[in-house]
Formats: sequence, structure tokens, C-alpha cells
Amino acid sequence: MKFLCLACDEGMKLETASGPRDGSLEATFVCPRCRYRVAMLTNPWETQLVQTLGVKVGGRAAPASPYEQVLGSLARPESEAEGSAGHELTSAGCPFAGMLGQAEQTEPLAGVLWTDAAKVRIERIPSFIRPMVQRAIERYALEQGHHLITDAIMDEARSRLGM
Amino acid sequence: MPKTYKDLAGDGGSNIVGQVTEQLARLQARMQPIRNKVAVVSGKGGVGKSAITVNLATAVAMEGAAVGILDADLNGPSIAKMTGVRGQRPMITAEGVQPVKGPAELRIMSMDLLLPHDETPVTWQATTPTDAYVWRSSMEGTALREFLSDTIWGALDWLFLDLPPGTDRIATLADILPGLTGIILVTIPSEVSYLVVRKSLALARNLKIPMLGLIENMAGYDCQYCQTVGELFKPGEGSQLACDFGIRFLGEIPFDPRLARSGDSGIPFVAVHQDTTTGRTFQAMARELWAAIGLEPEGHIESGKP
Repeated sequence: MKFLCLACDEGMKLETASGPRDGSLEATFVCPRCRYRVAMLTNPWETQLVQTLGVKVGGRAAPASPYEQVLGSLARPESEAEGSAGHELTSAGCPFAGMLGQAEQTEPLAGVLWTDAAKVRIERIPSFIRPMVQRAIERYALEQGHHLITDAIMDEARSRLGM
Repeated sequence: MPKTYKDLAGDGGSNIVGQVTEQLARLQARMQPIRNKVAVVSGKGGVGKSAITVNLATAVAMEGAAVGILDADLNGPSIAKMTGVRGQRPMITAEGVQPVKGPAELRIMSMDLLLPHDETPVTWQATTPTDAYVWRSSMEGTALREFLSDTIWGALDWLFLDLPPGTDRIATLADILPGLTGIILVTIPSEVSYLVVRKSLALARNLKIPMLGLIENMAGYDCQYCQTVGELFKPGEGSQLACDFGIRFLGEIPFDPRLARSGDSGIPFVAVHQDTTTGRTFQAMARELWAAIGLEPEGHIESGKP
């Protein structure tokens, strides 16, 4: 979009750009010859179009931040919008959450013991998946009230967890 | 006669072309260290595309390759759940967003990792809720571009993109990602699925997108007790379909209830059931995939090295 100063027949230059505010982008243009100024105000749909393209009216002063559009355009309930400003998002309750971060850690969970036979079986699982499987079985056992992982508990966990 | 649009130099001061060029440059720079970018698509939903993506990616990674998965199904993300990383939160830095690490060192990114709650749907800010749906397609394209260009994938041998169902998604992706290595089509043994897959094949051909192969899922029933594969739907015609279109048939996956359960448990089936019919099929498919691009699974990028 360009603006033409009819009096001077001269293309106007972008002077300032701001927004969106209340669904509108604001940009002012000035004629470089007569200094006549106009303001362009977009309606909400025009504003949406610009945002959807991931570009800025008036150009960018700084490079786009990572996931700028995704994080900036996801609609969220009011109650959650406040907490989304930071970059540390809260964790949901996945039973495997945190396991991968502890991939190297294979110490049993507190309160869990493994029989020798069960230890041999867990060692047979490929190393890259072993910590994850171990944790899944240990958590399953604790949830069921067991503190000793036996062959039977392993079979039960594998069956119930689909492993 | 006053000047016209074309008489005025520039674009009004916003440098839109420059901004779009910068977006493209960022995308190309991020994709440059990734050797193969492969989209897994199906015209029809419910054919097990995500399960195949996860297990095929895991099978390739188990050979030592560096592999990433982008869950491009923004509205129905399932990759995070299937790889057991759901609930983890990606770290956002000035350089980009770190994908989370899954089994077999898979680098995973999904909209699911950004949503605050299980029930949170993906809706975009707009003037009215109705408008949000009007803009949905454009926003999804923008989001997909950001997931590709802003995620710190690092050097990868393979990046698998799990696309949502729909023939049109192929065109959208081809527009966003010009360096797409190719697509893998997933079907099931049914006339309905074949019908839609034919449309996807024709579209991919029109767009000149390389087709790496066709996979037929739910081709028979793998009995875990007698180790035989029985009939489930009609006998599969996937290989014939692939032959008709002159593309590689990567293989057929029998229905195995353990495969479905593994998706819920978050541990890829192929990682723990390598010696089953289905597990062996996934591993064979991984080798076929290397062959489809004319390479062997050696000389890969060291897994886990960014």
C-alpha cells in the first residue's frame, strides 16, 4: 500500500507505525515535499491479514523472535493469558514427563527394589529405551502398591502399559 | 494524470518483500543441515499415519541416524503422546526453540508441547470466533513455517513431518518447504482409502513432488500367539496401487493390538518389539527408505549431535 500526495504528485514516505491497538494498526505518512501528513488506520480484518502473514507494517526494527506468530496468535482463555508471558510453560501430568530428561539416570525410584531376575530382564531392553521402560514399570508398580519388581510385575506392567 | 502505484518506488515503507525474504532465508538456513525432509501423508484420516511416522522414524534412528519429527497436525497433535514426551516443555532461546528429546534420541516438536492443558483446542486470536476459522488456514501455514524455521533441529539425517489428513496439505507444505525430499503415502486396504490416495498421488505428481513410496497399514492381522498374519480387510492391493503409479512400495504393516497400545504408552512399538512380524516390517521399511533416496544407512550424522 502506497500513498500519493495529489498536490505534489509525490509518493509519501512512511513516518511512524504502531499497533495493533484495539484491532487497528496505525501508520503515518508524510509528503517529502510539502510535509503534508496523513494517518492510515486499518480495520480489524486488515489487521488480521497483516498478522497472518507474519509481517510488520512499517518494517521490522528487530528480527522476529522464535515462534512469534504461534505464541502470539494462539487464543487462550483469559485466566491463562497472564501466565503465558514467560518462556517457561507449566508441565502437564504425563506419566512419562521428566523421564527423558533423566535418560542417563537408571537408579531405581525411592522405595522400589528389583529382583535379580527382573534386573536381568530389564538389561535386555535396548539401552536407549531402557530408562524410560524402567521408570514406567517402577511407577506402575508403586501405583499398584508393589515395592518389589518381579517377573510377574514386569509382565503385568508390560501388558497394562502396552509395552 | 497523477502517478500510479507502479510509478512510486518502494512498497510504501514496510519492506514486505524484505521481510518475506528474511523469513525464507531463516527457513533455508535451518533446513540446510537436514539431509532429508520427508512428509508422511494420507488423503484420509484414521489410517494410522502418526503411528507409522513414529515407528518408521524410530526404526531409522535405531540404525544410528539423527532423526527429528515435526508434528504438523496442529489441530490433532499426537506425536508427543506417542513418543512419551507429552508434558515436557521446549526451551525457548533467542536462537530458537529446542525440540524435546524422545526415544532413540528423536528430536520432537509438536503443538501439543505448547498447549497449557489437555482440553485446550488450537484456536487463533481474531476479531470474532467466526473470524478465527476464516483465518485458520493462513495461520496454520504461518505456524508450520515457524515450526520448521524456528526449531533448533540441528544436523539431521531425516526430518519426518507428520501431516494432517487431506490432499490439500501436500500443496501447502510444498509451498512452505521447497526443499522437500519427498512424501510417503499411507493407505489401508479399502477402496475408500485407495480412492483418496489416488488423488494425493495425482496432486503430488502435478506439483512435481518426489514420491518416496507407499505404505499399506492394517494389511492383515498379526496374531501374536501363532505368529501368522490373517486377513483383516480385503487382501491388500497397495503394492498394485504403487505399481500403477510407478512408485516404490515400502511395505505393509499388519494390524497388531500391541502397536495401538504402544501409541498410548508413549514407547514406540519397534523399540521394544523388534523381533515381531510388525517390528521387522518397520525395520525393513527403514532400509527401503534409505534405498528410495539411493543411500545406505551408513555415513549418517552422529545421533544426538546438534
